Amino acid sequence: MGYKATQDPRTDVRERAYLPELLKGLGITARHFFRNLFGTRDTNTQVVDRKGTSLITTVEYPDEKIPYPPGYRGLHRLVPREDGKPRCVACYMCATICPAQCIYIEAGEYEVEAKEGESRVIEKFPTQFVIDELRCIVCGLCVEACPKDAIRMDTYEHTKPEYNRQGFVYDIPKLLKGPAVSHPSDPWNKREGSEQPHHVHKEAHTRIGEGLVQLKTPHAVGKGHEPKQIGPGHAPSERAVK
Amino acid sequence: MKRVLTILFAIGFIVFLLAGGVLTAYAVGALAEEKLFVGASRLTNVIFLMLIFVMIIATMLTLAERKWSALMQDRIGPNRARIALPGLKNLSLAGLPFVAADSLKMLTKEDFVPQTANRFLFNLSPLLAFAPVFALFAIVPAGPSVTLWGQRVDMVVGTPDFGLLYLFAIASLAVYGTALAGWSSNNKFALLGGVRATSQMISYEVALGLSLVGVMLAFGSVQLPAIVGTLAAETGGAAAGQARYLWQWAGGAAGEGFDFGLPAWGIILQPLGFIGFFAAAFAETKRAPFDVPEGESEIIGYFVEYSGMKFGLFMISEFVEVVVLSGVTAALFFGGYHLPFGGEWLATQLKDSPLVYATLLGTFFWVKVLLLCFLQLLIRWTFPRFRYDQIQTLGWKMLLPVGLANVFISGALVLWDPSLRALALFGLLQIGVLMALSLSRKESAEPEHGPGHGHGALGHGHEPHGLPGGAHGHALPAHGHAAASLGGNTPAGAHAGAHPASTH
Repeated sequence: MGYKATQDPRTDVRERAYLPELLKGLGITARHFFRNLFGTRDTNTQVVDRKGTSLITTVEYPDEKIPYPPGYRGLHRLVPREDGKPRCVACYMCATICPAQCIYIEAGEYEVEAKEGESRVIEKFPTQFVIDELRCIVCGLCVEACPKDAIRMDTYEHTKPEYNRQGFVYDIPKLLKGPAVSHPSDPWNKREGSEQPHHVHKEAHTRIGEGLVQLKTPHAVGKGHEPKQIGPGHAPSERAVK
Repeated sequence: MKRVLTILFAIGFIVFLLAGGVLTAYAVGALAEEKLFVGASRLTNVIFLMLIFVMIIATMLTLAERKWSALMQDRIGPNRARIALPGLKNLSLAGLPFVAADSLKMLTKEDFVPQTANRFLFNLSPLLAFAPVFALFAIVPAGPSVTLWGQRVDMVVGTPDFGLLYLFAIASLAVYGTALAGWSSNNKFALLGGVRATSQMISYEVALGLSLVGVMLAFGSVQLPAIVGTLAAETGGAAAGQARYLWQWAGGAAGEGFDFGLPAWGIILQPLGFIGFFAAAFAETKRAPFDVPEGESEIIGYFVEYSGMKFGLFMISEFVEVVVLSGVTAALFFGGYHLPFGGEWLATQLKDSPLVYATLLGTFFWVKVLLLCFLQLLIRWTFPRFRYDQIQTLGWKMLLPVGLANVFISGALVLWDPSLRALALFGLLQIGVLMALSLSRKESAEPEHGPGHGHGALGHGHEPHGLPGGAHGHALPAHGHAAASLGGNTPAGAHAGAHPASTH
């Protein structure tokens, strides 16, 4: 016999009489009810910052979205160049490092005397660049491995639902999106006779994690998840100082 | 502000609908008396009171249970079912489309009968559970008897001489449905549920009956219309039942100014009886905290094998029971359709328009019923389920002796002072003691709002979610949430931060 059931631990008359405590409990429930009934629900997605009488902490997901933190690893994108082609040079480093082996690349070679003249500085380009988003484990190693800043996961959106597996296999048309990125060190910027003068090269203003890119996503899925804009030009420098 | 206005408008709209229903019921009743035969209004009352009012309120309660419980638990509740009509497409309409969606779902689901079940009893028991509950409302007067276009119209289905005894008799029939459902399913859990329901009923029947004896003594009748009583302005004589005043401070007899006083409502005369009756009747409805027959978390309940609309009948009978219990409680303890004060004045003012008068009072009755329904849902969503022996203890060791004592004390007081004032003083004393106990706090050595310790142990009226460190969680709950969440996150963050440093 461990616990003596007749031994009543309640010493206070309110607890022994039982009803007063019940009424208090009812009062608490009723207070919550009326506060939530008459209070307008604060839709601030930062629940801890919510003010107002309503105590409801729900974020109604498809209508209200919590912004992802800067540096969130979302769906991949192939970063375009200024001229709209992918920055990728088909070096296979992402495909090699990918632990899930979800990246498939077929490289094409520029003809030596092509009209574009790009062959002077870049040898290869991807004729196929395919990511199986179902196999991807979203580790971000491909982004780290890429020597050309050609693949990023800064879209702030999930993999969208599809009706069949084939839909999750993203090819270049699906992957190539977002703002173009240009670095001074880019070979096509260095070549002679480049249409872009050296001094207009854009700085590497969009590093992963700094969340400066306002993506022009063609889809509405990731919309609402973008992080708050940090004022242009002040966040990176401040961070550098720190 | 917009939200407050919306809610107030919705409440007003509900009251308006109730008034419209009452008006129609009276008008149709009078027409039936005139065109058909004397007493035909009782038949139309069956349709209006039971099929329209009780059924619709019970149906709406299935939604209200989900929505109100959500509000009590700081959730949003059902809001995703939408009506695909232009203009209504993106409105959740407080979840109203769920009523239609749920009933459609119930009706179109497979009606499954277990192979080894007793088919006949299996099909019969939902009806046995539903019909008696439904029939209970027959004796509850839902509005005053008025003379409308030369016809006498009562807003009650039946006024048998045995009155409340009908209530007791029929209420205990409902358990046959439950017990048979449990037995005929040929399922051990269902059988357990049925057996539990039976023994729960047995422990409550006595307390239920005893708790109302005090009311019968006080009003000297077992008939609900007599207990509800009549106004002096209606009958020309003296006011009777719960329509009269214990102490009248303003206004004289019929029509002498606005009358004001303490009405002889059952809740004032019989607070103990009310508590006992409400607890016992709550056990009859088989809802939490007395939902051991259902016991969702342990045995799924007596209806575990039922599907589709057969299960729906069990469920709806629960809600019908809630409405009926509210109606009976309103009639017995809250003055029925009478106003707490000003009733005589109103009756005199509206002497020439009986339809308006009847509609007003009838609406008032249904408003009381809705408020009591809310109270029941509040109770259902506040208290956890009693353990099985606790129910038996409550029924046999607490409600029964208290009911007996209440009968003897009430009887003595009624004999001593037939004007019921002594009984009312006694009742007010009980209410006062209860209120004083509820509103006072226990003296404690520890500081009441100590920073984050001893809250659960002291256990008097703190928020149930027990925020750690929510020192002023009562005054500013939103702020309290923020503080709690931050406080909860900080150690985790610190830990996460410390972890790489220590390992690498």
